[in-house]
Parts: sequence; C-alpha cells; structure tokens
Amino acid sequence: MLFSWIAISFGFFWLNTTPIYFDVPKGYPKPVYDFKNNPLTEEGFQLGRNLFYDPILSKDTTISCASCHLQQTGFTHVDHELSHGIDGKIGTRNSLTLQNLAWAKNFMWDGGVNHLDVQAIAPISSELEMNETLENVVAKLGKSSKYQKLFKEAFGTNKITGQLILKAISQFVLMLKTFNSKYDKVIRNVDKFTEMEQKGYDLFKINCASCHKEPLLTNNSFENNGLIIDETLNDFGRMKITQLSKDSLKFKVPTLRNIEFTFPYMHDGRFKTLTEVVKHYNSGIQKNKTLSKQLQKSMDLSDNERTEIVAFLKTLTDKEFLFNPRFSYPKKNN
Amino acid sequence: MIKNLTFGLIIGILFSQLSLAQNHIDSLFLKINLKFRDNFLELNKNYISKNDTLKISLLKFYLSGIEIEYNDKTKFVLQKKHHLIDIENSNSLLVPVCKKNDKIISKLNFNIGNDSLVSISGANSGDLDPQKGMYWAWQSGYINLKIEGKSNSCKTRKNAFQFHIGGYMQPNYALRNISINCNSIDDINLIVDFSKLFDTIYLKEKNTIIIPGKEAMQLADLSKNMFQLE
Repeated sequence: MLFSWIAISFGFFWLNTTPIYFDVPKGYPKPVYDFKNNPLTEEGFQLGRNLFYDPILSKDTTISCASCHLQQTGFTHVDHELSHGIDGKIGTRNSLTLQNLAWAKNFMWDGGVNHLDVQAIAPISSELEMNETLENVVAKLGKSSKYQKLFKEAFGTNKITGQLILKAISQFVLMLKTFNSKYDKVIRNVDKFTEMEQKGYDLFKINCASCHKEPLLTNNSFENNGLIIDETLNDFGRMKITQLSKDSLKFKVPTLRNIEFTFPYMHDGRFKTLTEVVKHYNSGIQKNKTLSKQLQKSMDLSDNERTEIVAFLKTLTDKEFLFNPRFSYPKKNN
Repeated sequence: MIKNLTFGLIIGILFSQLSLAQNHIDSLFLKINLKFRDNFLELNKNYISKNDTLKISLLKFYLSGIEIEYNDKTKFVLQKKHHLIDIENSNSLLVPVCKKNDKIISKLNFNIGNDSLVSISGANSGDLDPQKGMYWAWQSGYINLKIEGKSNSCKTRKNAFQFHIGGYMQPNYALRNISINCNSIDDINLIVDFSKLFDTIYLKEKNTIIIPGKEAMQLADLSKNMFQLE
C-alpha cells in the first residue's frame, strides 16, 4: 500500500506531457469551455483522437464517433437524413457537425447536454447508436495495452476511468477549430469576395445573421424555424428537455461553417440542397405560436438574391480544416 | 530543491498513511441499513407491499452533504461530499464520518441526490464518475435514485418497473434534504426502508419514471419517508 502510493506519486512527477496552447482565432470571442479543468496536452489530444476513431466504444465494435462525424464533411454524416447506428438501426435526428465546440454552450439539437465533457455519453449509450455502457468501455480499454500506454502518457495513470475517457475525447474535439474559410480571409482583408458573394453577404447580414451570428455563425440559441412537423418523428425539440410549451418545435441554431458539405440540412435532414434551405426561409415558413421572431416577416427574395446567398454560404468552406491531417484517422506517423 | 520536495512528499505520505490507519480504528461510522420492513433488503427476493408483490434487481442512490450536529450546537461536515450507495457494494454502506469523541450527536443532515452544481460541471471522478451508471445520457444530470425490478402488477415489457429519479433544473430539481434528530455518541444506524416508498404507490399505475418532471418530483418527495434512525 505504502509503496504503491509512493510509486503513484513518483509517476505524477515523471508525467511529461506537452501542453497545447489553445489559440483563439482573431475576432473570435472568449471560449466557453473551461480549460483549467481539462488542460490540453498533445498526449491527451492524441488519446482522444484514437478514441474518436475507434469502434471499441460501441457494443459490437462496429461504430465509432467518426461513423457519423466524418472530417471531410465538417464532422457530420452525409447522404442519409437521420443518423445510422448499431445493427443498421436508424436514429431520430440528423447528426450535428463538430466545429468550434470550445464556443458552444450546450450540445445536441435540443441542448439537452450541458457540458462538452458529458456529450459523448449520449451516443455511447444510445440503443440506436453505440448501445454500450461507459462502464463496459472502461473495462474494454483496460484490457488494451495500446490504451493503457496512451492513458499513461496523457494522464500519468494506468487506471482508466469514465472521467478520463470523456476528458480525452473533449481534448480532441476542442481542437476542431475552423477559421480559415474564404469568408474569414475576406474579414481579415487577405482575400476578396466576388461581386455575387458580396451581394450574398449583404443579404445574409440583413436576413440571417441575427441567429447565425458572426463569426461563429450561430448565436447558441434555440429557435423554431417554421418547419412543418414530420409526423413520422413527432420531434418537438427543446420542449422535451425543458418541458415548457414555449420551447415547442425549437431546435439549436447550428453553425453554418462548411455548410456546402454538411448536407442534408435541418434536424431531420429534410433538405438535400442549400437551394431548398434558402427557399424554405424565403417562402416555406409555417407560422405557429413559437415561430422565431426573426422569421415572422417574409424575406421576399428574388431568384437572383437566393442564388447570391448560396454563393456566400459556399465561402464558409474551410478546406484546411476539412483536410487537416491532424484531425484524420490516427496513423502511426502523424 | 527537487530532493527536498520528494523527501517532504514521502514524509507526507507516511503521515497520511498512518492517520488513515488510525482513522479506521477510531472512526464514527454512518451505517446504512437497506431494509424492506423488518428485513434486510436482498436483490431478487419477493417482497409484499400494501399494493403489490415485487422484486428489486438494482438499487443505487446518492447521499450528499452529510453533516452531524452536536448538542453543543457545533457541526461536523463530511469532507467527501457525494456518496454513491449501492446495495451490491457493501463498502458503500459504511460511511466513515469523523473521529469518535464524547460529544452527543443531536442531528443528522444530508441530501438524497446530488446538487445541481455537479450536474453542470462536466465529467466528475470517483463516486460521481459517469461510468457508475448514474448519469443521464440524452440529457445532462445525475440520477439521484435508481430502483429497478419486477412485479406482476406491471403490464410492461417483462413486468419491469424502473424508477430513475433525478433532475437538476427548476422546477424539477429533485434533490431532497433530510434532517433527523438523534441522540448518540456512537455509530449512527440509518435505516432506509423501501416498504415506506412502495406502500404509497401502485405499481400497476406507476412503474416507469425515467425522466425529470412532475412524477419524479412526487417520487422524490415520497422517498424522504424511507429514511429514519434506528
């Protein structure tokens, strides 16, 4: 007992991690995430990255975080409307993107999760996603010499716990910052919009930016954006969490970053193209009690103006982020 | 410098070890006795409430903010704030409180469940580690009290009943304070009698409460009746 204590203490002294300084991009606000409780290190980031891409998190080792959150599409899935999980089961919502999460106040389309560190519990334990328990994940990782080594390097201990797994995953996703799109470069005066993009940007500022607030392109709030309810899902969004009727049909305002590649759109993936999305806001709004204040008045955009908005939205693509090898499947030498 | 630090550390550890061992001998314990009426509760055994016959297969709950008041008006507050009580972990049923002394304990105070602060502070460790199966997934927050089992009264799949009682946001904040008068200088025997809860509900009508809300609040209120001193 005594010796083990001393050994543990020495282990702590020998813990030799490489701190990561979390750069806040120019013009971005102060992050919401409190790094003091989970200081970023290269070793923690790499552990989190390994966990993120490892199907060991799921019950039958078939589904990883990356199954629904692919880097090249802004860390969301494409093609299908609702997320797919274990045994070919289909979830009830379209997976969200994982971008600039250090600035997010709450998580999921309904904001049910209040802290990034506990977000991963949801997909791990959902019967439709990974159908696993955190307790079992701890046990499985404990048998893996690879993970014993990675946890030791990151946290100085062989004792894998639920807390450390979750903190490591947070370290990886916190680093998924996107801030180098054409839009960002124009804002920083190192690039120029085309005439069409500029017109689209001007329209965007008038019609969209109050919710999709710059520079993160979300205001972190929940709104009813006038979608007709899908009766096969009967998803009332935020109301399920707060149990308040004023929150009926409200969903998270998602960021629009890399929107060109994150299709399909909306919480149930009902729109396949940006053209359909803009059309919806322009002329498809379903009026009801909880409809967002900003959408009460119709936009009345011309065909040209709608095309211009789409042109602007495509300037939010950040290829450096989508193809950054540091965020991809962990191979030995990167 | 490092040498000095290391030396200090070793000495520190030695002392903490010694005091730890000492604590075990001299400690005053809060003993938690899980019961169904006069019998100690066992998993998967039939019990009869006023309204139903039932079996319990899983039973865990949090006690937090444990403190004792002495009759000289002084107080002792446990340093470890959150205790997961699990029928399958006998260690959890024996909570070391403080060093024994000859002051008379006049009151025991604690909460059933965890405060809202820990429910918004991310991934915690120890008894609060989400791997303990007491953290909700689709919505953040701790489950304060988890009871699962079976009863033929439940017209549910496999006749199962499930009570996952919790909620950290008003108006559905499910933490409950308990304050019990006491008159003792020795270990405190806390009885948690589950018949007191099951006698007041009909499993036919109430068998699945797994989200925060009105029903969870009602059950949290009822759960207060289970706690008494021997």
